[in-house]
Amino acid sequence: MAKKLTASDVPIGATAPELRHVLTRTDLVRYAGASGDFNPMHHDEVKATGAGQPSVFGHGMLSMGFLATAITSYVGVGNVAEFSVRFAKQTWPGEELVTQVTVTGTREENGTTLVDLDVRLTNAEGEEKVLGNASAWIGE
Amino acid sequence: MTDQVNLEALIGVVTTTSTVVVERGPVAFFASSVFDESEVYTSEAAANLQGFDAIPAPPTFPFVMENWGRFSDVQESDEPQNPGIMVALAPLLAQGGLILHGEQSFSYHRAVQVGDVLKGHGTIVDAYRKESKGKTMTFVVTETLWSDAETGDPVVSARFNVIHRS
Repeated sequence: MAKKLTASDVPIGATAPELRHVLTRTDLVRYAGASGDFNPMHHDEVKATGAGQPSVFGHGMLSMGFLATAITSYVGVGNVAEFSVRFAKQTWPGEELVTQVTVTGTREENGTTLVDLDVRLTNAEGEEKVLGNASAWIGE
Repeated sequence: MTDQVNLEALIGVVTTTSTVVVERGPVAFFASSVFDESEVYTSEAAANLQGFDAIPAPPTFPFVMENWGRFSDVQESDEPQNPGIMVALAPLLAQGGLILHGEQSFSYHRAVQVGDVLKGHGTIVDAYRKESKGKTMTFVVTETLWSDAETGDPVVSARFNVIHRS
């Protein structure tokens, strides 16, 4: 597994480096291909507007995947133990998505040490798109 | 609504019985699609340096791996065909309305890796209804456990919460 954080790296309130990405229609098409999710609401502007949406919109799982990128960049690939989210708002092409990963505590479980994280994805205006939490194994 | 779907009968319905193969190309492409440029997803040497014996997959890859690696020749013949969550949702959709992905969670024993052959078993674990602002919200929760096909060791479990709004 990737090198683990240690308890001294993750005081309560510590934050992971923020990732930012301006969402494009091409991103949605790439994610559709990479995930196999071809719901037309995510790539077909004609169908999306016909269904009353302002435009195509992002897959919830693309948002969760971007948050996962921020989490593994911080805790190390292979160290994530749990990752749960609620999808609050749709994401739209042209919006800048911003990750926020904040330490809420550490705990012992089954002889391992875990860091608990509050995770959220917002747009640049602070509207919350995805909210949740994660935990990751850390070293001594 | 007079003819509501019997939600209690949904609990226990099998939604997935799959064997999937995890391949290198889909993992690398998936990582790029979630804006992850880490070399660990594209280079075996980089993966080895980080302590993996094969290239790992990003955390949310388990959600999509059936779409890539559920090959017909690796399915066990005594398993039922993959009935899918839509079997359970079809009666709801027949009443109109919209399906939304409400929540998603994963619990990991280890990262999924290239070369893994994984067996998935998914069931509906909860189904309930709420009335909100004159709308009927029906929640269906599915849990899928993925295990190593060779050893039987658990690898990851995924909890998928969909909402039907009508």
